[in-house]
Amino acid sequence: MTPANLLIPILLPVGLGIISFLIPSKTKLIREIISIIGAGVIFYVAVVLFRIKNLNYIVPWAGTGIDFDLRLYHFSGFILLGLSGFLFLIVLYSSIKMRGHNRIREYYGYVFLTAALANGAVLANNFVLLVFFWEGLLLTLYGLITIGGKESYRTAVKSFIISGFCDFCMILGIGILWYATGTLRMSDISVQPHGLTAVSFFLMMIGAIGKAGGMPFHTWIPDAAIDAPVSVMAFLPASVEKLLGIYLLTRISLDFFKLQVNSAFCITLMIIGSATIVLAVFMALIQKDFKKLLSFHAISQVGYMILGIGTGIPIGIAGGVFHMINHAMYKCGLFLSAGSVEHRTGTTELKKLGGLYREMPVTALCFAVCAAAISGVWPLNGFVSKEMIFHGSKETGYLIFTIAAWVGAIFTFASFLKAGHSTFLGPRTKDIPRVKESESLILLPMIILAGLCILFGVYNKLPLTLFIQPILEGHVPVGEHLDFSNHGLAVANPIAMISILCLFIALAIHFYGWNRGEKRAYLASEPIHNLPVLKMLYNKSEARFFDLYEQGVKVLKGLSYILFVGVDRTIDWIYEKFVTFIGRTFSRALSWAHSGNYANYLAWCIAGLVIIILFIGKLLR
Amino acid sequence: MSVQTIVLLTIFVPIIGSLTIPLAGLISKKARSVWAILIGLATAFFASMLIPFALYGGELVIRKIMILGFDFTLIVDALSVFMSIVSSSIGALIVIYSIGYVSHDENQNEYYLIVLLFIGAMMGLVYSANLIFMYLFWEIAAIACWRLIGFYRKKEFIIKADKAFLVTFFGAVVMLLGFILIYSQTHTFDLTQMRGVAVPGIAVLLILFGMFSKSATVPLHTWLPDAGVAPSTVTALLHAAVLVKIGVYAFARLFNWTFILPSGWQQALPIIVVISSLVAAGAATVENDLKRILAYSTVSQIGYIFLGLSVLNPVGVTGALLFLLMHGLAKAGLFLCAGIVEHNTHKRDIRELGGLIKTMPITAVTFLFCAFSVIGIPPFGGFFSKFMVIMGTIQAGKIWVAALALFVAVLTMVYLFRLFNMVFLGETKLAIPEKTPGMLFVVIVLAVLSLLGGIFIAFPTKLVGVAVSEIFRMGVLR
Repeated sequence: MTPANLLIPILLPVGLGIISFLIPSKTKLIREIISIIGAGVIFYVAVVLFRIKNLNYIVPWAGTGIDFDLRLYHFSGFILLGLSGFLFLIVLYSSIKMRGHNRIREYYGYVFLTAALANGAVLANNFVLLVFFWEGLLLTLYGLITIGGKESYRTAVKSFIISGFCDFCMILGIGILWYATGTLRMSDISVQPHGLTAVSFFLMMIGAIGKAGGMPFHTWIPDAAIDAPVSVMAFLPASVEKLLGIYLLTRISLDFFKLQVNSAFCITLMIIGSATIVLAVFMALIQKDFKKLLSFHAISQVGYMILGIGTGIPIGIAGGVFHMINHAMYKCGLFLSAGSVEHRTGTTELKKLGGLYREMPVTALCFAVCAAAISGVWPLNGFVSKEMIFHGSKETGYLIFTIAAWVGAIFTFASFLKAGHSTFLGPRTKDIPRVKESESLILLPMIILAGLCILFGVYNKLPLTLFIQPILEGHVPVGEHLDFSNHGLAVANPIAMISILCLFIALAIHFYGWNRGEKRAYLASEPIHNLPVLKMLYNKSEARFFDLYEQGVKVLKGLSYILFVGVDRTIDWIYEKFVTFIGRTFSRALSWAHSGNYANYLAWCIAGLVIIILFIGKLLR
Repeated sequence: MSVQTIVLLTIFVPIIGSLTIPLAGLISKKARSVWAILIGLATAFFASMLIPFALYGGELVIRKIMILGFDFTLIVDALSVFMSIVSSSIGALIVIYSIGYVSHDENQNEYYLIVLLFIGAMMGLVYSANLIFMYLFWEIAAIACWRLIGFYRKKEFIIKADKAFLVTFFGAVVMLLGFILIYSQTHTFDLTQMRGVAVPGIAVLLILFGMFSKSATVPLHTWLPDAGVAPSTVTALLHAAVLVKIGVYAFARLFNWTFILPSGWQQALPIIVVISSLVAAGAATVENDLKRILAYSTVSQIGYIFLGLSVLNPVGVTGALLFLLMHGLAKAGLFLCAGIVEHNTHKRDIRELGGLIKTMPITAVTFLFCAFSVIGIPPFGGFFSKFMVIMGTIQAGKIWVAALALFVAVLTMVYLFRLFNMVFLGETKLAIPEKTPGMLFVVIVLAVLSLLGGIFIAFPTKLVGVAVSEIFRMGVLR
């Protein structure tokens, strides 16, 4: 295989995207067939590339160290595989779910362009190329959200500005790193962060966390859950953006910067991670819309990944990366099952749903598997990766972070009990007429994802040795043990015991709330919602008081107003009033002097003459 | 044709051609329009014929000796060729667009005459290597600008035109004092003989007055938003092709290519221009007038170009020159889209507009493309240029300035999206279709060029790269 083949995962989706734009929207099936086959080919290419492992493609681009430099190695190959896998599943799912949508051309176009940009970002080995693809994703994200409906553009703009802000931070960080190291080639950079490079680390971290949807750059995700099509949610915030964000975060903390365990950088990451876990899960708990509930979990779970990577300990980092791929699978599966419910019932409001397991058994089963996986139920994949993160964070000696992770686990399970209970169990509501199970093309991706959740859990040795452990090779001291699969499903240790205890606590919380809410499952979280201080915080949060975007826009508007009135209008006032006043006064004085009286003019002339004579006399002397 | 002939044609075809417009107008309206387009295209064509010469690092000085050191000196190098191509090609597109836009207005002869004279003055200024001739073309541009801003003869419009003229004229006269100060030191007005000369700080201050007033930089900027009373074609011309680019180009020619800036100015300039950028971005966020928002946006983006030039390193200067091109394309696109909206709805207050994407889909999408380029989103052309300006600023060690510049980029997103949302999205207030295919064609070309400029960034970078290496060859800068 020649290095130029690295262009295939970028150019092929671009081609498919353009084709989709060109096919008229009225045509049936052609677009779907081309898309499915195309996505299949992309997946195949990714598999081939993953097996090849090492390739490098460089051509000069924009001069001054900016080259078009692509590099395939184990980690990028793995992410590429994940990205194209999710692309294939989403395309499969969309072929039914999005059929007949009036902006179907754009939808597939953006989906494939997203794939192209994401693949490019992962393969990039030059920071400018990385930013080129990375920031380009803003456009497709914007486009995909606007497809949701008439009012969804507000959320689209919100996502654009938040992500844009994060990207700009990253650009500044990259600039500083370039200034400090003198190169833009990613594989050549490895520095100890201090002084300027420490600033660079934080700025680039914001870029990575912002893409992954960590706090406080997450607030567009719950809004998008309502506004954007569910397949977009499953594709972007649930899988593609997580893979990219966590990929970059791992590269930052392993490759570009050498982080020491428990250094200020690691602690910062762990604080962000655990805060994200806890705060987002508390928001998720009280949601009464299926998709919105999932979206808060998409945020909360990022916290685990950041926490895992932030430990700086091999098992923690491996756990974080493993959690990334696990999360992408089950969260994608969960969004797709919510989409399947929406597809048939037309709603995702938990209040209106109930007892669907008889009519939609496959959806219910897939949901149950994915929900158990995200909650960390033994023996699924979520259990394994969470255990690794728990172990890693405990090894740092800061037990507080482990406790935060456990708290997250309790409420994760509690909220999924609520969601599953109110959607699939309980009495059937009258709001919705009888429904059928969704079409097989909708079910297939969900079944695949649920199957993978089981496989990656029960047989965790496979993903761990095939995908995860090689990433850490060269990053741990020589001779250190790098096989984490023995932790796998072991339950006979205190950490696993506590994790399992957390699940029982969650069960108790749910049933307590369910009883208190007169056996209505969607009210199961109300006892916690109504706790004294929490209720006030919840109310503020619902009013978007903690939304960095809303507050930030207010600040920007205020600042703009100050600049406008204080500087711009003041300067203009000087031109409009002050300068014209002087000019007018001056000319008025002159016109007053020119009264039409000959004697006056004569006096002027004589005075002038005297001045000239004096001047000449002075010159002559 | 020799390079000398081509350069002279580039300058004198539009200048002399503009004077023939009224004659063509005597024949018929159509003949005049075709003739105007032909002159515009010919100028762009002659300018681009110089690409091969410039690309191989050619540098030609043409000198016609005249009295008192007022030699008519022209310089043909990558920098001047690049700038002349940018101005003349965007100018030509605007002339094409004008056919539809001013077709119902009076005084069309005058319109085309002045527009072409304007482009000609720009060409003359770009190739001038003599400070006095530079000043001469500079003032021809000011007069043309004054006439065009007051094209619709309403009283308040003419006042705005006077304001623009007075501010830029004042700046230019102060600049002339600066030129004279330099003359007293070097005894020549010939730039080619002054390369590497360190100029006194006071002369820099005087010259900057001229540049900042022409390129609408805070605090000499408020005439530019007011100039929005002109026809949209004129504003596009002023913002994208000829007027505001004069100051920036003169900066590159004088303070990058020729003179060495005193170190105090090297420190102060980036800060001044980034503050200008910030103030204008703030004003753009507050304004409600379609064209005033875009005008403030120009002031803000010009700040980036100045920033790139003032950090005095290859990355920054490359970024700035590329941004000259990319901003020109995108801003012309934005103004011409605004022109379509204004032409059809007769409204400029964005609060009275809304939901136009339904009836004007092409305008909306091209507007969005150009907006992305101005913000600096890949793969649009604005991305690389802005990125390199910021990288250059960081390389100069001015990290805070770079951070502020990125903050301005956030504000840019905010105000351009606000504008787009209020005009094209939301509740439909006026449902008027986009007619005028000729106008649409031009905005589509500009939007597509903005996109291609990013994807095929290597092409413009080649020419800019030659220009930058020429600038830095003399060791004028670090």
